[in-house]
Amino acid sequence: MERQIINKKKRVFSLEPNKNPSAVFTRKYTSHLVPALKKLNMNKNSSKQTVKHEVDMALALSAQEFPWSRFLLQKLSSSSNPTTTTSSSSDGIRILERPDKEGGNEEGGIEERLRELKKLLPGGEEMNVEEMLSEIGNYIKCLELQTIALKSIVQDST
Amino acid sequence: MNGAIGGDLLLNCTDMSVLERQRAHLKYFNPSFDSPLAGFFADSSMINGGEMDGFLATAGLNLPMIYGETTVEVDPRMSIPLETTLGTGNFKKRKFDTVTKDCNEKKKMMNREEVTEGEEEEKSKITELNNGSPKSIKKMKIKAKKEENNCSNDSSKVTKELEKTDYIHVRARRGQATDSHSIAERVRREKISERMKFLQDLVPGCDKITGKAGMLDEIINYVQSLQRQIEFLSMKLAVVNPRPDFDMDDIFAKEVVSTPMTVVPSPEMVHSGYSHEMVNSGYSNEMVNSGYVHFNPMQQVETSSDPLSCFNVRHIYSFIMFHHLI
Repeated sequence: MERQIINKKKRVFSLEPNKNPSAVFTRKYTSHLVPALKKLNMNKNSSKQTVKHEVDMALALSAQEFPWSRFLLQKLSSSSNPTTTTSSSSDGIRILERPDKEGGNEEGGIEERLRELKKLLPGGEEMNVEEMLSEIGNYIKCLELQTIALKSIVQDST
Repeated sequence: MNGAIGGDLLLNCTDMSVLERQRAHLKYFNPSFDSPLAGFFADSSMINGGEMDGFLATAGLNLPMIYGETTVEVDPRMSIPLETTLGTGNFKKRKFDTVTKDCNEKKKMMNREEVTEGEEEEKSKITELNNGSPKSIKKMKIKAKKEENNCSNDSSKVTKELEKTDYIHVRARRGQATDSHSIAERVRREKISERMKFLQDLVPGCDKITGKAGMLDEIINYVQSLQRQIEFLSMKLAVVNPRPDFDMDDIFAKEVVSTPMTVVPSPEMVHSGYSHEMVNSGYSNEMVNSGYVHFNPMQQVETSSDPLSCFNVRHIYSFIMFHHLI
């Protein structure tokens, strides 16, 4: 098994490049992001915002089959300094407080959570619930792959 | 002569089903028949002594005894005329079986007072049917059943669900209403729970949680943590500028070569048991497979406060490549 892998190091991309969708996405993503980062690096103005912008842009461009990516693209292109898709800190706090609130009405709690989920997904607020749930699945997948790619890039650079 | 005697006995037996009786009739008169219905209608007049009431041989039998619980004699009569118009050429045994089965079902459903008005409708529908083509018969039958459903708005007794191409006819389960609104509502709810189940498999650590609320919480937490991770990583990326000779191929190749030992298929990798339908997307099962694998190690990462320190990217990346290579 080792030998096979070592022997195959020259051809690391599969013969059928479009077969494995996660690989396709990862490749697309890195191919979008890395040149953008290089360019940013050249320009010496790699602030956090712009990098985040590029990161999100790469995500949106690599996942164009999904409605949420279109929404994301719209949001990104409409403003150069976008409000990030993650309002992380405030949401984090809110999630922690939630357990006190949720004790009451189960049905109402579900509605609330669905609304929360909608906010997380770019463009989620315009979708109905079923659509949103399936889109969330795709979105989670892409986010996971994105983290993998980012980590490997960061790892490689350090 | 055994045949004749046997046939006689059969004819007098009252606890046989309609089908069996009619077959017995046929056998009696035409011992060499193979298709149960080919010569059926031709012979029916003989059975009744020339009395052709249009309902084949059933009129001469004790039908109420078969459908013992009800006094609705109309049941079998309603379906049999359907048969007449179907034409002898197309007749298959199975069709008749389904008709008798439908008879039984209809009988069950007809144990109610409201049925009478439904009956009228069905009767009129059936007479219309007799002029219709064979293909439309089933449709009309379904239509009739649907109207019957609509007539009886109270909960009916338990029967199976019936699906056809044009209509989706759902027999109401016990204690549930049958109007179109609640049916649509129920379909919608089922769709939602189906997607929730898929999400449950997607998000690690969700299988222990039951209930929509808890699961939604988990999903929200997971998405938020992913987004936070990404933000953190991009921040780190902004600090650590990529090297000028940053080469993608290098990354991929390097990862594979340097970690030959880590590419051992873990048990999770081998399984391909996922068969979720991923609605709305072009992604197939492989997406789920590989994603699931990658995120087992990451699961540990998320519980720790510093996602990057104890995490081995190469480990993960080689998994990607391994999956690639397979």
